[in-house]
Amino acid sequence: MALKGLDIFKLSPKKNCKECGSPTCMAFCMKVAQGAVAIDKCPYFSDDAKAMLNEQTAPPMKTITVGDGLKLGGETVMFRHEKTLVNKNLFAVPVCTKMSADEVDTKLADMAKVDYERIGERMYVEFVYVKSAGDDADATLELVKKAMATGRALVLDIKDVEIAKAAVELCKDGKPILNGATPDNWEAMNAVATAAGVTLGVSAGNISDLYDLVKKLEGAGNKNLVLDVTADTAKETLANAVQVRRTALVDGDRSFGYPSIVRVAKLAKGNKMLQIALASMFTERYASIIVMEQMDYAAALPLYGLRQNIYTDPQKPMKVEAKIYPLNGADENSPCALTVDFALTYFLVSGELERSNQPVNLIISDASGMSVLTAWAAGKFSSSSIKKTFETLDIENKIKNRTLIIPGKVAVMKGEIQEKLPGWNVVVGPTEAVQLPKYMKDKEYEAAAKAAAAEAAAKAATTVEVKELSFDELLATKVPAIEVVDMGVKYGGYNPESSTFVTIGERIHCISPVIRKAMDERDPAPILKRAAEQIAAGATYLDVNIGPAEKDGPERMMWAVKLLQENFNNVPLALDTANKKAIEAGIKVYNRTNGKPIVNSADAGSRISNIDLAAANDAIVIALCSADGIAKDNEERMKHCHNMLERGLSLGMEATDLWFDPLFLVVKGMQDKQMDVLNAIKMFADEGLKSTGGLSNNSNGAPKKVRPIMDSALVAMAMMQGLTSAIVNPCDLRLMETIKSCDIFKNHTLYSDSYLGDRPDLL
Amino acid sequence: MAFTPKKVAYRGAINAVTLGTGDKAIVIGGQNVLPFYTFDAPIENAPKIGVEISDCAGEWTAPALKEFYAGCTTMADYAKKAETMPGADFLCLHFESADPNGKNRSVAECVADAKAVAEAVTMPIVIMGCKNIEKDGELFSKIAEALQGKNILVLSARSEDYKTVGASVALAYGQKVGAETADDINLAKQLNIMLKGLTVAPTSIVMNVGTAAVGYGYEYVASTLDRVRLAALAQSDADLQMPIIAPVSTDTWGVKEATASEEDEPAWGNAEDRGVSMEVSTAAANLTGGADAVIMRHPAAVAAIKQFITELV
Repeated sequence: MALKGLDIFKLSPKKNCKECGSPTCMAFCMKVAQGAVAIDKCPYFSDDAKAMLNEQTAPPMKTITVGDGLKLGGETVMFRHEKTLVNKNLFAVPVCTKMSADEVDTKLADMAKVDYERIGERMYVEFVYVKSAGDDADATLELVKKAMATGRALVLDIKDVEIAKAAVELCKDGKPILNGATPDNWEAMNAVATAAGVTLGVSAGNISDLYDLVKKLEGAGNKNLVLDVTADTAKETLANAVQVRRTALVDGDRSFGYPSIVRVAKLAKGNKMLQIALASMFTERYASIIVMEQMDYAAALPLYGLRQNIYTDPQKPMKVEAKIYPLNGADENSPCALTVDFALTYFLVSGELERSNQPVNLIISDASGMSVLTAWAAGKFSSSSIKKTFETLDIENKIKNRTLIIPGKVAVMKGEIQEKLPGWNVVVGPTEAVQLPKYMKDKEYEAAAKAAAAEAAAKAATTVEVKELSFDELLATKVPAIEVVDMGVKYGGYNPESSTFVTIGERIHCISPVIRKAMDERDPAPILKRAAEQIAAGATYLDVNIGPAEKDGPERMMWAVKLLQENFNNVPLALDTANKKAIEAGIKVYNRTNGKPIVNSADAGSRISNIDLAAANDAIVIALCSADGIAKDNEERMKHCHNMLERGLSLGMEATDLWFDPLFLVVKGMQDKQMDVLNAIKMFADEGLKSTGGLSNNSNGAPKKVRPIMDSALVAMAMMQGLTSAIVNPCDLRLMETIKSCDIFKNHTLYSDSYLGDRPDLL
Repeated sequence: MAFTPKKVAYRGAINAVTLGTGDKAIVIGGQNVLPFYTFDAPIENAPKIGVEISDCAGEWTAPALKEFYAGCTTMADYAKKAETMPGADFLCLHFESADPNGKNRSVAECVADAKAVAEAVTMPIVIMGCKNIEKDGELFSKIAEALQGKNILVLSARSEDYKTVGASVALAYGQKVGAETADDINLAKQLNIMLKGLTVAPTSIVMNVGTAAVGYGYEYVASTLDRVRLAALAQSDADLQMPIIAPVSTDTWGVKEATASEEDEPAWGNAEDRGVSMEVSTAAANLTGGADAVIMRHPAAVAAIKQFITELV
């Protein structure tokens, strides 16, 4: 992926004429970037623009692939918080022609002893570094053969051209690195490397000479290089490593845009602990290959742990593997405790369970790396996903004990889990991890498990087979009649043709215990109260989140839709749940007088089929520009956007019925990404697309008094960029005033002194 | 055309903070470049190493560590011995046993220990508490009072107790105060602002922005250090220009890599080596990211990090 779609877009004619076959210029440019379409398909790209593109296409730092698919370099940022670091540093252990055969054998055998897995990643020494003293062709070739026999990739440190040629001939199929080019031999060494098609390592006495040498090699047509930046001292080596990286990424000089080799073995001069310290530093500061004198467990445990941390994708939550973790000597007869795969949750829960000293099987369920409540609300931690985990891991057969403790925060799922896992006694555990040691020690779960077993037995005796009902049947039998109550508030109506900003009230959400209870009990009062407040405050749409609602989703949604629309003059609604049947059912009873229903939401990943659902039901869909985790940049956001746009259009949707959500990010923690989000909104707007999103997420965790101020500022900036809608708390007066004022400035509504409504306090 | 690397020197600089008094006083901070970036500008003050002495040191099991402190019984014994450790710049007295949920030693006993140490040594002293907010509050105040004039650093004031700790340690008794937050740059800045709001001088504040052993969520520490340093230097953010101290040993000697016996993990080899290497790697990573001082325990680890710093500054 050399070319960035957005860079191409800047040079594009921006006519959106569709002559190329793509719906918009942006979509076309994204395809060109992916290599799916030739740029000539567009008749309007100027020759100058095309030439300029060719020049700008190279990435700042090359990705070099060696060995059996080992990737080096390809980095785009200096610090891991800016974006994702791409290719982790790799390790090498050296052998030398000056060593005896026995020494070599011992060294390679010791190296092979470190080979283990840590959080899903194989930890081992990726390279053998073969060093030739320079006057010993036969010995070098013998050494290469021994190194090849380890199955690891090779770095050949050979400065003699003839020896290098013979050695490369032996091992070139294994794609080694020939670390051989110096200012003295570069022409001949370059010929050896290019003839064999292997990566060439480059070294020189100082950084200026190194730069000159790279220029010469590039001039000779070789860009398959790695740079050995090792100097005589650690100090100078750090200077080289940093300056090479900085020159490439900050100054944009691609001649230093290559991976680096750092030989800490040379710098540490036999001091093993110093070597570990230096290797730690170069893991953080820009080595691609670190050559260690040896890698034993004392070195491997900290260094691989550090590397795994540093190269973790900050955009993606750290996940632990979904499996059974037996704690405190648990066996098949020990009780089971269940939680999600978010790494921090796992560390917290397993730590507290260990503190209890009670044997317990901790079962980690796949929840896309989200915390318990977030995963539950997103439908990623549900009775179905738990059932799937149980099947995948074959827990039924691996564990005989039938007590299953679930997190207290999802007590509401107890019944559903009990149904999906017959034979298990589901017990609700504590809501906080710190309560676990006491809970386990006191064996509180035993009585609860007995009660669950008795309940299940009683139920089994009475259960009769129920056939699945059609929506009409459900409506007739399962949805309580709606009583219209006068709440003193009337929904004023909405014209979908108007260009005023659309606010979607977010306050009917199952993450609120009050709403959850009301939904469970079909108790209208709390829901009507929140609806009335939001409508009075000026909400255009109301969001209706019924939770994952796996069991009774359709009748729940039908009830909620009828309840709200019949009470409030057919207020338009956004139907918000992971249960598709429920959305379908909701649309069946939905009245379109004040606008189409909104499906909340689809994404470009596992939830993309919600676009189909919207298309089939002539609904609007909120399209989250993400797939697996938050998009790392606008390149990715726009890629997701166009995937979804094309899917919607191909199913006959209007482009304006897809409302794209860039995903607003929390300022605390992602401050440096805020402008990305705002710029994405501008890109949507430039293509005539509509946008929306959970705007108040930006101020999550900020003091209550500050949040309205931040939200108002952001909505003004976002509206300037072209945001057409937002999912907000309409009861935030400052925010709503700001939105109405912005609509005035955007000339969406006509000014009058009372444009904020009947507000004697302001007149 | 010869290549000349560009220098990046920042307008912002880290505050220089003095700890201790007399010949052994140390200065941490002062530089206007990223850690060890001597090619951009000279490092004003090399990072410093503190040696942790705990009132639970009798429970330490690593053989060479025990051997080093052989014959020591009181905290003052340990402190005198620690002063002789090659590479040591200051001492950190860790009052673990004050924890009400543990041994619950009295404040009076801890203060007596601290006084005895202060009389026996000349190196600067850093005080670490037991993590219990209430007990630490009292302990910190009493030790700061007893050691007045010694210019000690007390770890730490947290968002829960910065008012009491800041007011007593820094304002009433003129000592230096640590500002402790957990891997969150926004909270780190907020706590410094609140301490300054109490009229604590910025040059009386040292930050602990969060710690972890490598492999245990260290990515949060690494990115917090990077971001704090870049804010202090590139954005000249005066609320983040305090030098950083990283207590390393308390995390690293508690993780499985350091505690698992050779019987439990035969492939892993000598347990003490693993403890030392975890401490060395974590300290080096912290220093690379932005720590101006690290607190360590094992003589072999201290020696390696001393060498590391010497090589790089």
